[in-house]
Amino acid sequence: MAERVLVKGTEAIGEAAVRAGCRLFFGYPITPQNELPEYMSKRMPEVGGSFLQTESEVATINMVYGAACTGRRVMTSTSSPGFSLMQEGVSYMAGAELPAVLVNVVRGGPGLGDIQPAQGDYWQATKGGGHGDYKLIVLAPSTLQEAVDLIGLAFDLADEYRNPVIVLADGVIGQIMEPVTFPEFRDPDTLPKHDSWALQGAVGREKHVVTSFDIDPVVLEKMNFELVDKFERIESKEKRWEEYKLDDADVVITSFGTIGRISKSVVEKAREEGIKVGLFRPITLWPFPYERLEEIVKGKKLVLDVEMNMGQMLEDVKLAVKDNAPIAFYKRMGGMVPTPEEILNALKMELGR
Amino acid sequence: MAKNYAFIGLFGSGKTEVAINWALELKKEDEKVAIIDGDIISPYFRTRDVAEELEKMGLVTVYPKGALRNADLPIITGGAIGYLSNQDYKTVLDVGGEENGVVVLGYLKPYLGDAEISMVVNIARPFSSTVDGIISAYEQLRRVVGIKVDYLINNANLSYETTSDLIARGEEMLAKVSELIDIPVKFTVIPDFINEDGKKFKYPIFKIKRFMRMEI
Repeated sequence: MAERVLVKGTEAIGEAAVRAGCRLFFGYPITPQNELPEYMSKRMPEVGGSFLQTESEVATINMVYGAACTGRRVMTSTSSPGFSLMQEGVSYMAGAELPAVLVNVVRGGPGLGDIQPAQGDYWQATKGGGHGDYKLIVLAPSTLQEAVDLIGLAFDLADEYRNPVIVLADGVIGQIMEPVTFPEFRDPDTLPKHDSWALQGAVGREKHVVTSFDIDPVVLEKMNFELVDKFERIESKEKRWEEYKLDDADVVITSFGTIGRISKSVVEKAREEGIKVGLFRPITLWPFPYERLEEIVKGKKLVLDVEMNMGQMLEDVKLAVKDNAPIAFYKRMGGMVPTPEEILNALKMELGR
Repeated sequence: MAKNYAFIGLFGSGKTEVAINWALELKKEDEKVAIIDGDIISPYFRTRDVAEELEKMGLVTVYPKGALRNADLPIITGGAIGYLSNQDYKTVLDVGGEENGVVVLGYLKPYLGDAEISMVVNIARPFSSTVDGIISAYEQLRRVVGIKVDYLINNANLSYETTSDLIARGEEMLAKVSELIDIPVKFTVIPDFINEDGKKFKYPIFKIKRFMRMEI
């Protein structure tokens, strides 16, 4: 077995990106993800890559756009207000079908927000934070090992579908320290080259054009239809989730990311008290695993959705559950992280115990 | 026994856990013990995040009070200088990781007195997993602070996956480092969930309880 190392979340994500063949990183500091650009500033020169600290998140995302046009693996990371600043560029990238990995280490909000962990950017990530008809693939890790694994997957999915992929973390995932095992290094020269469309020098061939736009509405609509076809392909193939102790469960907790992890402790504590609870944890927040959740909740006493926001994934949970089971919701906001005990108490209240 | 103690090291070396546990150790002998949160790097998992718990255990906690407790600003409160200078208090200083974190120690240098400075080392961390890595981290930190490091501390750990074998490997590596840079090893850290009486280890053992935890 490969060696276990103790890492901070931001380092785990950075090193995983390097090993996935990412050699281009642009970023701007914002807590709680500052150690990620710092790590990349140290690591990129060591592996022959480029790190650039930009003057703002607006500059960052446009540099990511430019770098992605070359077909090489590129990543940026930021936290909530910074990701809001990037939205125009994200929309342009989705329109121009550019592969890139965007990490949002979510903090409190709205507005400036505090630097504590939160999940209030679910809607922004999954429903389109920028303008126009587009979708981003959204991956939500709940442990550092999963963060490492999902970074590799994020680059692969970005390349396969020519679409930006978000890794939606939060302050806990960014700052916690855990042991992980890193994968082997991918050789950047063996990665998809994208030479059918990327801008890599047009000598001796027809020019390539990377754009989100056509001035002829007939052509633009055709581009839109092609994007929609792609999003439907992603929806049919890329849904991912974790099921934990659901087989005999009477109650299903739905949660993602850090809360998904805390919910596992809730499942254990509830079972110690004789309440059969299981966990359904979406890993892809888009595409959301509606069908599987619908199947699972049939005949259950209760679905308890738990989030560190006002009830954002709750809307998708409702779309999935329909009238197959009653749904309750427990929330914390503003950077407050619930303990397993308080979630268990909320669950018992709902069950009338 | 020194009056003041400071712990330095790379990110994730375990300075905060060692500093808190050392302050509690001092508390066994001395009535008045203060711990200074001098971490201007990490946004959380800092001494101040468990301040109430530590106050209950009789420590004085020193960090920016009120709203500034949660401000994303590199503040060292004036109380830090007060407690470092106050001869009635044994004082432990916990600074942030890497060269940017250790700057705080440089800033407080005029008030440190005869402070005992220890560098905490975790060989399960990426940049301190080799003898060369540890020595270069030591050189880097020492250069920034311009201060003599008195001791090394073996804190080989993989959080909840720590084993006594890993801790023993940490001792072996630190023994080599200690010989090369001529700095003694103060102790080997053993987390409370590992049942060891110390016979297996080369250096004195220091049992610690973990404070920086997510209850998950």
